[in-house]
Amino acid sequence: MQTSVTPDAISTVLSNPSFDSSSDRSEIVVQVVDLKPIGNRYTFSANDGKTKVKAMFTASLTPEIISGKIQNLGLIRLIDFTVNDISSKSTKYFLVTKCEAVGSVLDSEINLDSKSGEEEAREPKKQKLEHSPVSPLNDVVSTGITLKPKQEFVAKSASQIMSEQRGNAAPAARMAMTRRVHPLVSLNPYQGNWTIKVRVTNKGVMRNYKNARGEGCVFNVELTDEEGTQIQATMFNDAARKFFDRFQLGKVYYISRGSLKLANKQFKTVQNDYEMTLNENSEVEEASSEEMFIPETKFNFVPIEELGLYVNQKELIDLIGVVQSVSPTMSIRRRTDNEMIPKRDITLADESRKTVVVSLWNDLATGIGQELLDMADQSPVIAIKSLKVGDFQGVSLSTISRSNVVINPESPEAKKLKSWFDSEGKEISMSSIGSGMSPSAKNGSRSLYTDRVLLSHITSNPSLFEEKPVFFSTRAYISFIKPDQTMWYQACKTCNKKVTEALDSGYWCEGCQRKYEECSLRYIMAVKVTDSSGETWISSFNDEAEKILGCSADELNKLKSEEGEVNEYQTKLKEATWSSHVFRVSVTQNEYNGEKRQRVTVKGVAPLDFAAETRLLLQDISNKNKTSQ
Amino acid sequence: MDTSSPSAFVNGALLRRFIGQKVRTVIQVTGSEIGSVVGKSTDDLQIVVRGSSPPSPLTTYLEVIGIAESDNAIRAETWTNFGNTFDTQNYNELCKLANGEFKHLFI
Repeated sequence: MQTSVTPDAISTVLSNPSFDSSSDRSEIVVQVVDLKPIGNRYTFSANDGKTKVKAMFTASLTPEIISGKIQNLGLIRLIDFTVNDISSKSTKYFLVTKCEAVGSVLDSEINLDSKSGEEEAREPKKQKLEHSPVSPLNDVVSTGITLKPKQEFVAKSASQIMSEQRGNAAPAARMAMTRRVHPLVSLNPYQGNWTIKVRVTNKGVMRNYKNARGEGCVFNVELTDEEGTQIQATMFNDAARKFFDRFQLGKVYYISRGSLKLANKQFKTVQNDYEMTLNENSEVEEASSEEMFIPETKFNFVPIEELGLYVNQKELIDLIGVVQSVSPTMSIRRRTDNEMIPKRDITLADESRKTVVVSLWNDLATGIGQELLDMADQSPVIAIKSLKVGDFQGVSLSTISRSNVVINPESPEAKKLKSWFDSEGKEISMSSIGSGMSPSAKNGSRSLYTDRVLLSHITSNPSLFEEKPVFFSTRAYISFIKPDQTMWYQACKTCNKKVTEALDSGYWCEGCQRKYEECSLRYIMAVKVTDSSGETWISSFNDEAEKILGCSADELNKLKSEEGEVNEYQTKLKEATWSSHVFRVSVTQNEYNGEKRQRVTVKGVAPLDFAAETRLLLQDISNKNKTSQ
Repeated sequence: MDTSSPSAFVNGALLRRFIGQKVRTVIQVTGSEIGSVVGKSTDDLQIVVRGSSPPSPLTTYLEVIGIAESDNAIRAETWTNFGNTFDTQNYNELCKLANGEFKHLFI
């Protein structure tokens, strides 16, 4: 049984960071002091009687502490551990992955210096040794708190301390000592030299593409830094091949020499105005065992109730819910290549008292899906990153290749959800989010009687729509349909895409890559709408315009070409004017010639249901009274 | 607009406040005899409407304009069939608002 620490163990380790072989370490015994829990792990200071250094046990050792095997002031033999940087403080800490308790718990902190004059005399020498850089590339700084005897303490100026700590290292070595890590949030396209330290929180698959400029491959990763900021990084061709194997999900890397550009909001999956491109000259270097200082996958949860807004959008969403049921796996034949793919459906519920079905595909269906099936009766909480929202059965969610499922995550949201479910959620009956939605109003569909606004709400808030399309319902009159606008286009009867007239006869469809004898006309029509608060132009596509005008574009075209006393075409447009509808609209903002313009698009049209509208008005009256009181 | 002879929107409960005055209401017809129609008001009270020549046939809902004779009877001057679908709840709320908070908007 060991009764004391290994003298100078910490300074030896710190001054020799390439200390790798575990055999050298076998005799390192330190005292555990200041043991305290952080989350599900424990931190402590490792004390060798002279120097203390911050240290942490990995979560796998937590049971040892709880069971009392490892105690404060006790001695432990370090079997496996690593020395890591705390970048924000430029100090070091030990990450202890394996250790054993030796000897009994002591009464107090060991302090060898106070006992031994000999040790004291050696102190200055050791200091110097410790601080001279081992090699210029080693970013070593002494970080232990040296337990110097009190009498040695003299006030020093900052420059004295600096020069003492750095010794006479060459300037380059000094630079390397503390790698300046930029927070992700500070990056922008106009800044050249930066290094970031990030965890790979998502890794896509390698995709091959083919376009006008040739073939290539591409993949992307999502990176998260210790502040939780995320960015997407994309690599093409040589860079993709170079870094595909280097980037591993969950690991931490130093990255530099990438370039930034404005993120394409249509495709963005993380909250960042920029996205990063790495080329083959970019530097990607793994930072070993530094996991705890960078958060795990960051989620941006959408309540089930609000999923309707994301139906068939390109945007991916994150979801957290209580597992209600888990189906067995099914095999689905993929249409494009006839491959059989495993799929498993799980039903999730949340505090909005709605349920939704999530389809897990491929490995998620067979791996984590099986795990969920086994524990379904315990109603676990799961969080899923990056889900696609489809309109199957109203609203349905699907995993994609880079989706990420976490069972019973350690987050406040999960705890809140679990306690809600345990206290009331399991008792109440919940309805599926998809059931309330009409299949016809396919985009951003929600009941036409929720999120009702006046037109002025849309027109007076230009900044509201910068981020992403916003959906509203509004009741308005058609006030003007310009008769001399280009109201329709020649469309392919198969795919509805625009066709061009072929040289000889017929129509060429770029989408189908073939020629057709006939085409049909489809509306793309601008309409002015008005309500008590104002007016705005809206654009409506074929199905909605047909409902507004009451006839198809082909029919209207026929009327237009007919000559006669009365212009039937004009009459048709007039008939549609000053009729009132409920519109489901999406509002986006786009830049046109450097000018920001609002674009309101009709996603659904319904005739007025007077009783329902009256109910809505009555509700407004009673709500107004409540707020004015 | 003729404002010389206004008729107040009423439901069953409000009828008593207008005895001797002109009212209008909508009932769900539950029975009819010669010269009278019995129905249910939008707040679920029974109302008897007397008067000559009710329309025939009667639809489920019927609007009557006439003089309130008692707290459950009206002498009809005008009968109008209101069809078979009618939102009684909305009408009932209208009656309450028109005689309460928003009385000043009605004549």
